[in-house]
Amino acid sequence: MKKFIVLLIFSLCISTQVSAQTLSETQIRQEINKVASQMKSMQCDFTQTKNLKMLNDKLVSKGKMYYQQSNKLRWEYVTPYAYIFLLNDSKVYLKSNQHNDVIDVQQNKIFKEIARIMMNSVVGNCLNDDKDFSVKISDVANEYVASLSPLRKDMKQMFQKIVLHFNKKTTTVSVVELVEKNGDNTVIELNNIQINSKIDAKFFTVD
Amino acid sequence: MRNFLLLISLLCATLYAHAQVLFPQKEGDRSRYTAYIEMPKAYISGICIIAYQGGQINGSIFNEFGISAMDFSYFPEKDKVKLHNVISILNRWYIKMTLRKDLKKLIHVLQDGKNEYVNEKRHIRYLFTPLVANEDDIAG
Repeated sequence: MKKFIVLLIFSLCISTQVSAQTLSETQIRQEINKVASQMKSMQCDFTQTKNLKMLNDKLVSKGKMYYQQSNKLRWEYVTPYAYIFLLNDSKVYLKSNQHNDVIDVQQNKIFKEIARIMMNSVVGNCLNDDKDFSVKISDVANEYVASLSPLRKDMKQMFQKIVLHFNKKTTTVSVVELVEKNGDNTVIELNNIQINSKIDAKFFTVD
Repeated sequence: MRNFLLLISLLCATLYAHAQVLFPQKEGDRSRYTAYIEMPKAYISGICIIAYQGGQINGSIFNEFGISAMDFSYFPEKDKVKLHNVISILNRWYIKMTLRKDLKKLIHVLQDGKNEYVNEKRHIRYLFTPLVANEDDIAG
């Protein structure tokens, strides 16, 4: 009987602990989803650092990002190269020094995925892609960290995992980390973030 | 005086751009390029970084967002290219065979101070333009 009571208390302790942990993660997820759903627009500067394992080198690129609900994104690199990735509903416009291009994302699987990952990552909607990622959320010091492991084969071929860092004060994404299979990673830091400020429509059109 | 300073600035910029053209010649040398590979029905654009490491040339090609397309090594003594970590859409034996041959030719072209190689048979154009690097992106 004594053993049974000890076992019962022990089981209750474990189940309470698991429940508290799950609730905590659920609460964080709810908070992030709430902020994401209220986000009509977002603009920021970004610094992207590509770390190359094989070369023990890195490349830092900088630019500006504009997002407008629900399907408009301008991702513009300013230095050290000029490159614009512009998503407007089902069309992707690419502009570089060598080439200008328009791609229908419905017909191009790779660009559909890139556009979706980029937009959902910066807004924080990636956490809801249950079919595409298994998500682990942790509460670390001043930020929430969501680690997304791809479940689909095509995504697994591209990424080992995607890590999103959320600022606790604003519950918005501050850093996106893309970890690749070859050991390389790309860290995108978002700075000077402005939420729900008016964005000129010209940023979502091609010159 | 103002014109003189402007001239000096332009000269420095030209010399810096010229320095970027140089192909890695000795241990530790690195070169960066914007990479543009044009095929009959598609193209790939991105960045290529090449470094002289351990007596061989190692390189990485990745797109503007940082997603890797492939890594490669060039062995000067054997004049051979070996591919590593090729992205799944390019990971076919016949594509890799062409890539190996073309990268070797491209390296020869870059060594000669030029930046374009065209595979006439397959109609593939490789244009690697020297990239002017930031001051804050030096390897850590």
